[in-house]
Amino acid sequence: MKVVKFSISLVVTVGLILFLNNGWTIKNIPIPPLGKFLDPFHGFWQNIESEDQTFAGQLDIPGLKAPVTVRFDSLMIPHIFAQNDDDLYLAQGYITAYHRLWQMEFQTHAAAGRVSEIISNDAVLNYDRSQRRLGMAYGATRALKFMESDSVISHCVNKYTEGINRYIESLDYDDLPFEYKLLDYAPEPWTPFKCALQSKNLAQTLNMGDKDIEMTNALKLFGKEVVDLLYPDDEKPGDPIVDNPGGWKFKPLSIDTVALAIPAELINVKKLPGPDPTTGSNNWAVAGSKTATGSPMLSGDPHLTLSLPSIWYAIQLHAPGINVMGVSLPGAPGIIIGFNDSIAWSMTNAQRDLVDWYKIQFEDQRKDKYMLDGKWIPTEKVVEAFKVKGRPVYYDTVCYTYWGPVTYDETFQSDNDLSGYAFRWIAHEQTEEVLALYKLNRAKNHGDYMDALNHFGSPAQNFVFASVSGDIAMRIQGKFPVRRKEEGKFVLDGSKSSNGWQAFIPNEQNVAYKNPARGFVSSANQYPVDATYPYYITATSYEAYRNRRINDVLGKASSIQPQDLMRLQLDNYNLKAAESLPYFLSQLDSTKLQGAELTTFMTLKNWDYYNNAESVGASYYEAWWDILMPMLWDEMSKEGVELQRPTTYQTIRLLKEQPALSFFDIQETSEKETAKEVLRQSFSKAVKHMEEFKVEHDNKVDWATYKGSYIGHLTRNKALSVPVTTGGNHDIVNAHSTTHGPSWRMVVSLEKSGVKTWATYPGGQSGNPGSKHYDDMIDRWTKGQYFQMLFLPNADSKNPRVMTSTTLNPASK
Amino acid sequence: MKIAVQFVFIIVVAFVLELFLPWWSIAVAAFAGGLIFNSKANFLAGFIAIAFLWTVKALLIESNAAATLTDRVASIFMLNKPLLFLVMALIGGLVGGFAAMTGAALQGNKRRNYY
Repeated sequence: MKVVKFSISLVVTVGLILFLNNGWTIKNIPIPPLGKFLDPFHGFWQNIESEDQTFAGQLDIPGLKAPVTVRFDSLMIPHIFAQNDDDLYLAQGYITAYHRLWQMEFQTHAAAGRVSEIISNDAVLNYDRSQRRLGMAYGATRALKFMESDSVISHCVNKYTEGINRYIESLDYDDLPFEYKLLDYAPEPWTPFKCALQSKNLAQTLNMGDKDIEMTNALKLFGKEVVDLLYPDDEKPGDPIVDNPGGWKFKPLSIDTVALAIPAELINVKKLPGPDPTTGSNNWAVAGSKTATGSPMLSGDPHLTLSLPSIWYAIQLHAPGINVMGVSLPGAPGIIIGFNDSIAWSMTNAQRDLVDWYKIQFEDQRKDKYMLDGKWIPTEKVVEAFKVKGRPVYYDTVCYTYWGPVTYDETFQSDNDLSGYAFRWIAHEQTEEVLALYKLNRAKNHGDYMDALNHFGSPAQNFVFASVSGDIAMRIQGKFPVRRKEEGKFVLDGSKSSNGWQAFIPNEQNVAYKNPARGFVSSANQYPVDATYPYYITATSYEAYRNRRINDVLGKASSIQPQDLMRLQLDNYNLKAAESLPYFLSQLDSTKLQGAELTTFMTLKNWDYYNNAESVGASYYEAWWDILMPMLWDEMSKEGVELQRPTTYQTIRLLKEQPALSFFDIQETSEKETAKEVLRQSFSKAVKHMEEFKVEHDNKVDWATYKGSYIGHLTRNKALSVPVTTGGNHDIVNAHSTTHGPSWRMVVSLEKSGVKTWATYPGGQSGNPGSKHYDDMIDRWTKGQYFQMLFLPNADSKNPRVMTSTTLNPASK
Repeated sequence: MKIAVQFVFIIVVAFVLELFLPWWSIAVAAFAGGLIFNSKANFLAGFIAIAFLWTVKALLIESNAAATLTDRVASIFMLNKPLLFLVMALIGGLVGGFAAMTGAALQGNKRRNYY
């Protein structure tokens, strides 16, 4: 009997331990290994930091040449003081990994199409396949080639990598970042290739927008005249970024002007989701003539999909020849946006069309050959393996062509087995942005800035600049193909190499200017340049509202204080509403309105056009707009045919100028509607929608509640995200929509007595949800408050805001 | 009385082992407690000892926590905080209980076979 009892209880115990030591997936929800995860001695509890937790006082790190001092301020921002460049980047890698290891690895997995190794379901696998088919790793391999070939950059990237790996090696299960425990896996060694992937990640967010498939479909369905009416290249809402008519005194490159071959058919492809069309940013610099201090000031707020762990990692880097501070991207060495002793810079996205799709004609179903210039050319087949967690390896064959990878074919998002669509993308080119940033971090003046930017290829950005010596400047920098008229808007015939990019605009012919007469430079993703610039320019869309508001405010301002620029970053004035709402309301017959509709009418009539958090008018206006748009453009929501709605700006213009436009007719009704009827019907729907919203939300309809903003965790796990209460919206200077907004707000005053900077971001320095620094800046960011950045002159300078100091000592391995 | 000593023994040994070994070392401690003491209620002693140890340790961490990770984890599991503590105690307790029972059963075997 006892033997039986022993055997049974032994089996139960061992079975229980095995069960609790393993992760499980139940109904697509991954369950961590419960014993391991819940054990307070090793599990997630060990990620909970105490109130007084500090970084260890002394650390021995193999690979360092000399001791490095790291001082952490009250926001947990590290200030690194190294005695040489190698140690500086090694320490940056180590300290960044200490706070953000999981995030940087997860993001590079996402870039490389490897998320299904961690989270296994069909949607994730499809995402991974799309990443591989877009050639993300292919682009990163080329970027890596440059990193390895340049003696300065290879050192910088290798040392940064080494620092991350020294940190990874120091970890055991207890110390693993929370998400590794939750998702039950462990970090792998970091590589320079991952640094390259991070830069492709940014390029994907910023420079992968296109509307080629949608435009080709529109051309086929509606004809050229309608395409030109609905989707003009330049909507001319206001000033371009650089307005310099007649100032382009160079001889532009000329290329042949062969007529482009555009497939005259509907493109049978289910398009992958592109970057958020409201992605955008603001930046500006004002000359000393307009400021109270007489010194230039510079502001920047890049808008991105807000996430936790925070997108940016703030850091100061100090070594002989460099003292720079600002924000870095975890996984990439150096500072991306920031300031040093002499200059400051920031970026907004340059919205240029840097994507083309080429229709590929295969010889047969085997896809071994495709047609190019009258000959069958062999495709290069790459077999991609996906090590899906808990499932057999999944294989996907991607054909590479003269143009790039064939993203869409009958195995992916399409069903034509004899044709496919190849992807030509600027970020597949070998570019040198790491070197550009390396130089920019050390730049002393306008000349250095121009020299640094010559190396910046992708993602194309509008670089604002200001210096202590008094210059302000703007330069739109990236690698831009020289385009023929209309090139880039439509899918192109990939059987003719003459349809490809023939040349790139030389750096010195890119749009740029310095110290303009108006006393300020600014950019907000609007159209880049005046009509006298000799190259053809097109994009998915250009911004129409933020830029005008910014220029309006800056144009009128004088004796500017840093607080004025903060106020402008937080400006909630809804120019779009100011330009559209009076017209909308004029189309309603207010004498016939009653009940909730009449109340809404009055609310809107009395609204001041500010999308402040507490505004009720803003909620009604935005609800109305969101219902109106799809009703106006119901023709654009065809099953199986990708089409794109015209922009907000163009829509409002057409409503006013051509209210009887045939598109405004609602297709599913037999009556013939014009703008007036659609406005009336959408108004009723919006009021009804808001009445329902009120019931569900305790009668609260203020804008912040209605918008329901939150900052989501990268795993999209709701429990790890943070709700926030803010005003603003897309098309507004304070561009905070539900999920998207100013990921970093910075105002720099470049005074001769010392550079001063105020900044904030929606998150915190630590990526650990068990740390108070996970989200400790969110509250201030929400309220529109800034922190003055602590910019230490040297390792020993006394400052009450320095909380702890750590020394990283060289050690043998 | 024996069960009280057994209970304390398991807590102390499990605590020491957890400093060096992974979470399953609690089973080793409870197994030893069952084997050495073989009280009238081995399962109960193992269960309560580990549940107690884990709960106290977790409460100590929680009492000094600078962030609300426990609430977030509870929410991931669709629980509230007290229930998360309960689940944790239950999981540790079950392993401790069965391990202690196994240890005791082994001793029972010995007694019958060799004495």
